[in-house]
Amino acid sequence: MQSGLAKYAARRLVLALFVLLAVVTFTFIVARVVPSDPAELYVGPKATAAQRERAQLELGLNRPLYVQYFDYLRGLLTGNWGISLKGHTSVLRDILTYLPATLEIIILANVIAVLVGIPLGVYSAVKKGSLLDQGGRLTAIAGVSIPSFWFALLLQLLFFGTLHILPLEGRLSVIVAIYYPVKTITGFYTLDSLLTLNFVGFVDSLRHLILPAIALATYPIGLITRMTRSMMIEVLRENYIRFARANGIIERVIIFKHALKNAIVPTLTVLGLSFAYSITGAVLIEIIFGWPGLGTYTLNAIIEADYPAILGVTIFGTIFYIVINLTLDIAQSYIDPRVRLT
Amino acid sequence: MSLKSSRTKLYAAVVIAIIAIAAIGGFYYYQLSQGPPVKPIAVYSYVSDFPDLDPSSAFEDEQIVLANTYEDLVYFDPSKEQPLQPWLATSWDVSTDGLTWTFHLRTGVTFHDGTPFNAQAVKFSLERTMTLGLGGAYIWDPVKAVNAVNDNTVELLLKYPAPVPQMASSQYAAWMMSPTIPTNATDWFNQGHDAGTGPYMMQSYQKGTQLTLEKYPNYWRGWSGSHFENIVFRVDRDPSVRLQAVQSGDADFTLDIPVDLLSTVQSNPNVKVVDSKAYRNLVGMINTVRAPTNSVLVRQAISYAFPYQDVIDSVWRGHARQSTGPVPSGMLGHFDDLTQYNLNLDKARQLLVQAGYPNGGFSLTLTYTSGDEVEKAVAELYKAQLAKLNIQLDIQEMTTRAKYALARGDPSQAQHIILFYWWPTYITAYDFLFNLFHSEKKHIFNFAYYNNPQYDKLIDDASQLEGTNTPQALQMYKQAQQIVVDDAASLFIFDQDTTIVYNARIQNFVDNPAYIETIFFYNIWETKG
Repeated sequence: MQSGLAKYAARRLVLALFVLLAVVTFTFIVARVVPSDPAELYVGPKATAAQRERAQLELGLNRPLYVQYFDYLRGLLTGNWGISLKGHTSVLRDILTYLPATLEIIILANVIAVLVGIPLGVYSAVKKGSLLDQGGRLTAIAGVSIPSFWFALLLQLLFFGTLHILPLEGRLSVIVAIYYPVKTITGFYTLDSLLTLNFVGFVDSLRHLILPAIALATYPIGLITRMTRSMMIEVLRENYIRFARANGIIERVIIFKHALKNAIVPTLTVLGLSFAYSITGAVLIEIIFGWPGLGTYTLNAIIEADYPAILGVTIFGTIFYIVINLTLDIAQSYIDPRVRLT
Repeated sequence: MSLKSSRTKLYAAVVIAIIAIAAIGGFYYYQLSQGPPVKPIAVYSYVSDFPDLDPSSAFEDEQIVLANTYEDLVYFDPSKEQPLQPWLATSWDVSTDGLTWTFHLRTGVTFHDGTPFNAQAVKFSLERTMTLGLGGAYIWDPVKAVNAVNDNTVELLLKYPAPVPQMASSQYAAWMMSPTIPTNATDWFNQGHDAGTGPYMMQSYQKGTQLTLEKYPNYWRGWSGSHFENIVFRVDRDPSVRLQAVQSGDADFTLDIPVDLLSTVQSNPNVKVVDSKAYRNLVGMINTVRAPTNSVLVRQAISYAFPYQDVIDSVWRGHARQSTGPVPSGMLGHFDDLTQYNLNLDKARQLLVQAGYPNGGFSLTLTYTSGDEVEKAVAELYKAQLAKLNIQLDIQEMTTRAKYALARGDPSQAQHIILFYWWPTYITAYDFLFNLFHSEKKHIFNFAYYNNPQYDKLIDDASQLEGTNTPQALQMYKQAQQIVVDDAASLFIFDQDTTIVYNARIQNFVDNPAYIETIFFYNIWETKG
């Protein structure tokens, strides 16, 4: 089993490298074929001819495209992901600066989604046709179909505008940022503030997290509820469940121990994919809540045609996706030994 | 696993959770009660974030932060009779050939890390900016060398005469920084560090949302009197959020509020709205190469068909003025007595007859930036007027990049009219006159493709005289402007206002258009209440 797993992981990683290479190549070509003037973006619109020429040299834009491509590949491997044309900063460092903010909301959103979606799906399946089931199905449909940015605005109207109990946007309040600044260790403000025993910072950053996380959770909640419900209904029809019932095992144990464990595997896959997607796909929520995440960074990069930044984010997103996928497959084989890793 | 033990575990988890929440809550209130007394804080709710906080290369809107953390050798104050005010340099003089400028430096100034400000620091700052060669660094093109003559004297040797004190007061690429910064400091600056001499220094930076400054205790102008202790820049992309922030007291300053929203706060006693002339205008450059606008008569005719006053009244509700020539009003080098085109369709028809288009009958393309509601309204209003002359205006909405890409291609295929805004890097009429109308080998911003050797010579000569003989330089700028106005190389549409909305308790606030949208927080304070 162990060696099988290692072999499997190794094979998947090799395949992943090819996927990555294809993505890098494709993005590189697309980013460079689009008409734009990288040197001008880098050097600024009013630069002199001499400055432009120097920028061309500095960025290596005067060399053939294939040379630039191989240079870029070499840079990727050595951690040099290029310089943002707009901000003149290191792309990899920028991505790592923006990443924790995004991870913080998407992790919380997915935790909320699991905590709400799985019980809701299970009860819907168990009490099929009941009022609770109707409600659960409605929630699920609403979750997947309501535009999350619209829901986000409603949340702001209610919790900030009317009730005044949660902040409108941002990651920290002004006063807290000045008098109880959160020292950056991991970039996760909630974690960093706890690590430094800054409880004011912790409570404040948590309060700022709630609304964006809920808004971002609506889609996965719907997805998980629906998935869990249909899988549970299927599993509960199985013979071994009937057998367990006939043996007089308590219904709750049957549902949560025997049935759910078998029903949850596809749900996990779906959850993983939606998680990986939100790494750059949370842009609308990020903009509404003034949340400085990777989605916002990506959007700015695209608007400015800042191609090193676009390439960097694309490659980072691909790696993230591949890693999440692989982890999920391995996790599946642990939960359900019948899943063959081949 | 028995049911009982799982239930016990659940209870234990609940109890632990309650204890954890209580503990955090307790510490929260304890820390709050132990916190420092709240000192005066000013909050500026701004439109966008800051792509590059490197004082050498910043070229977007970063000056709103940098002007509070860094200082120039010279401060440009348009409200003064002599706008070039001594700042980190106390005086300067120029050799008779205009090629050597000597700056005498202020003593007793230190950078935020304690390093003394001196001639070496000036040399370091200018050379770093020139070597990087990014953003506004091009303004130093005339400079051949920077020499530290002694500790408090710096000499700039030029390749050709240029107005160095104006350049030294620039809002881009002229900030003085400490020589102690790390090599390749761009990333370091963008993680929230600074190395200036200004009244405030960087406290914390959350890239993309919030930047806070704290006062620099050893600032050379001292801290007697009322001042803010901390300054916060927060990024609010949505105008109604920004306006709401100032109305509710969460923020003290904001701007870039659409005019229809502005009218909702004009009666609010807690909020002040102030208009000041910005050094920024909207031009509609007219293609002088492509037919039919290659005819000066056609260009004049369509200049007489533009509804200038309508735009001021309906689009801006008075927060702008009709332009007179390419240099915006309020700026040195602007002249109110240049010829101004006004909406006059009869005159336009006569000119069309002379040009050989008695009944119009041609179409023109106009491009504007997508998402810019003002440019869009301008285009629509213009289309309606041109239609009366039987000229069809094809309006094309494009991204900034696409718009410029089209204009930088073959002029005979490019748009007839391109709308865009212009503002100067440092305060000189030459910035407008050179970038917009000076002949170019490769088209950069002269989208009229205007090519007039007489004009080129006038402005180039004037620019060289500007530092030593300003009145004569201004007269030459005026003459040059009259030439492009007569040639109708562009529609001169409006000179914009900067409209700042701020907390009415703020005292002593005056906008300085030489530093775009910048608030010099050291100069202002807040009354209690």
